[in-house]
Amino acid sequence: MARVIKQKPMTIIERLYIFEAMRGLWTTLKHAARGLFRYEQLPTISYPEGQPEINNGYRAKHRLMLRPDGTPRCVACGMCAAACPAHCIFIEATQSDDPRIEKRVMRFDIDHLVCVFCGLCAEACPVDALRMDTKKIVFEHRTREEFVAHLSDLIDWDPKDYPEDAQSQMAPGGTKNAEARKVWGMEVK
Amino acid sequence: MSNFYNMPKLPTENSPKVEIFVDDKAVMVPGDTNLLEALKAVGIETPHVCYHPYLPVSGNCRQCLVEQEGPRGRMLVIACYTPVAPGMKIYTPASSARVKNARKATQEFMLVNHPLDCPICDKAGECTLQENYMECGQNEGRLRPEYGKNYHGNPVHQFVDAKGQVRGGKHVDIGPRILLDEERCVQCDRCVRFMRSVAKDEQLQLAGRADHTYITTFPGEKLDHEYDLCVTDVCPTGAMTAKYFRFQKRVWLLSHTPTISMDDSLGANIWIDHADGKIYRVMPRCNPEVNRSWLSNTSRMAFQNFNKNRLPAIGGVKVIKEALASATGKIALVAGGECTIEDLAALRMLKESLGDRADIFGGSLKIKSEPDGIAKSGDPMANRAGFKLLGLADDNLWDLAQNVSNYSVLVCVNNNIVGDGNKSMDVIEKIPTRIVLSAFNDETANMATLAYGIRHWSEVQGTMVNSLNILQKLNAAPTCPDAELRPAYEVLSELAGNTFTCAYDAFKKAAEYAPALAGLAYDSIKSTGLHLEGGNA
Repeated sequence: MARVIKQKPMTIIERLYIFEAMRGLWTTLKHAARGLFRYEQLPTISYPEGQPEINNGYRAKHRLMLRPDGTPRCVACGMCAAACPAHCIFIEATQSDDPRIEKRVMRFDIDHLVCVFCGLCAEACPVDALRMDTKKIVFEHRTREEFVAHLSDLIDWDPKDYPEDAQSQMAPGGTKNAEARKVWGMEVK
Repeated sequence: MSNFYNMPKLPTENSPKVEIFVDDKAVMVPGDTNLLEALKAVGIETPHVCYHPYLPVSGNCRQCLVEQEGPRGRMLVIACYTPVAPGMKIYTPASSARVKNARKATQEFMLVNHPLDCPICDKAGECTLQENYMECGQNEGRLRPEYGKNYHGNPVHQFVDAKGQVRGGKHVDIGPRILLDEERCVQCDRCVRFMRSVAKDEQLQLAGRADHTYITTFPGEKLDHEYDLCVTDVCPTGAMTAKYFRFQKRVWLLSHTPTISMDDSLGANIWIDHADGKIYRVMPRCNPEVNRSWLSNTSRMAFQNFNKNRLPAIGGVKVIKEALASATGKIALVAGGECTIEDLAALRMLKESLGDRADIFGGSLKIKSEPDGIAKSGDPMANRAGFKLLGLADDNLWDLAQNVSNYSVLVCVNNNIVGDGNKSMDVIEKIPTRIVLSAFNDETANMATLAYGIRHWSEVQGTMVNSLNILQKLNAAPTCPDAELRPAYEVLSELAGNTFTCAYDAFKKAAEYAPALAGLAYDSIKSTGLHLEGGNA
């Protein structure tokens, strides 16, 4: 049912227009002055010199987690590709050389032009291999092909960028890599 | 475990109907079968692991439990080994909590020592354990700690992984085509029974006892048999995996096209599993009268060459037409066993349009062997009965070889007469104009003066008559490597001057030549085929 909203009738000052126009101009002038003399108080960022602060849960560019020996954790099960609503993940699997590991990923491509950054792939991953916590939100490339992230791009990250994440520190170069490697390199009977 | 089990009796259309009571409701079921098949006939699916309709009943998985009213009250019995008796009272999980709990407990026990391999398992998506879990299990894992699993497996292959979990052999090489994963095996015994009673070559065996049972071959022996890839089909889990399909594609991404294998005159029913225009595997399609659930390795692996060495369709039909029109002498039309009924109808139409100058020859020079009683008749000429049905000669290639000087034009369709291991057909080189319609750039195409590519049998719609006189339907899988390629019937009918635009046009033409096909449509041929009355296969 339609609802009738009663508008407050304008006062005589408002009806005169000139005072209200002056008030509006004063607001504009105030913000212009703040931009000149109190720049840091502005709610906007001067991108790209200033970068926005990104929360931990933000779904940014993907990365593939690494085992202590530096191989990607991905077992090429295809769950992310199955969950992906945009069909932007392409995976090919092959036999692993490590006797303890069955299946290894050979090709892992994410087309970031097609990706909708919904995060379903990271949720579907059964081995916590695919994450979207890189906080990289800038995608700038010259050609369409460069927007496709390959396996080499996805495993190219530095544990120093994830100081609080224990899982990331187990990768080569991380603080916990040495002890993780001891367990990982366990004797195969 | 005893070495002898009974084959299950499967219901047929002629089974006597008896009344039994399922959940206190009277239903009519086939009377000469086991309870599992009888319940299936009235639409009640019973989860099972070790039971297979074409293998002897073993009854070791205990997954198909139902309750039966007996002299001492209601007892749990296995549905797969209980014969149907008139008036028996059966309780399924629909009414009995005891059956439901029993099945759930069985399922839980089966999964206790089963690895959580589903993400990397090639069987995931078509796995019996997954289906049973959804149907009757849905337990939460109660194994604490989670790495306390006790895998059945050969102690030689065991190792300890990073978590301290004892693991079994993950890829045991038990044969040239098959890998065994001992962790995933649930000891259902299906592969052993298949090799014992179907393949008749007992190469697999259960070794050890009780909790230490594992599947193995005899020492020094390998699993190597013409039908060994069938054990990957019967395996309810991912324990037996085919090397050629290992890690190639997740099964839910495959589309399935039901068709007929045209490299044997039994015409084994197959599924062509394809994705993105590429065939990934060929699976047997159950047909109780033809190949049951089995498929030979030859037929199964043949797909690997379907898209290799293909002949392109260059030049167009016009050139062939001109060559035929300008011919002065006699014309020899040679058809091969891979021609469908449609191709043969078009060929006969071409002969009629050419008149008395044309003769049709058919046959195969490949070696014929004896039927093996599983899924091969041994005759490499797949559509031999179709040749007979349409009144075409099916074995007179020698006549052509002897009278080769009488002919001035040869049109060879789907028949690699030169390359089939026989030098005697090299005499066709004496024929001045040699036109070859073939899917592959084979030896005959190399010898041709005019070679034109056509579609392979996996890419055409059509029909064939197998050696049991069953009319079977081929469907076109969308895997043709080149859109320019056309089916043989289309090319032949265009040569005859009356182009068939679809396979059904050609089938209607075939019905004019063969009264047995009259009044049939593709829809009236069931997926398991149609018995032809009055055929002479």
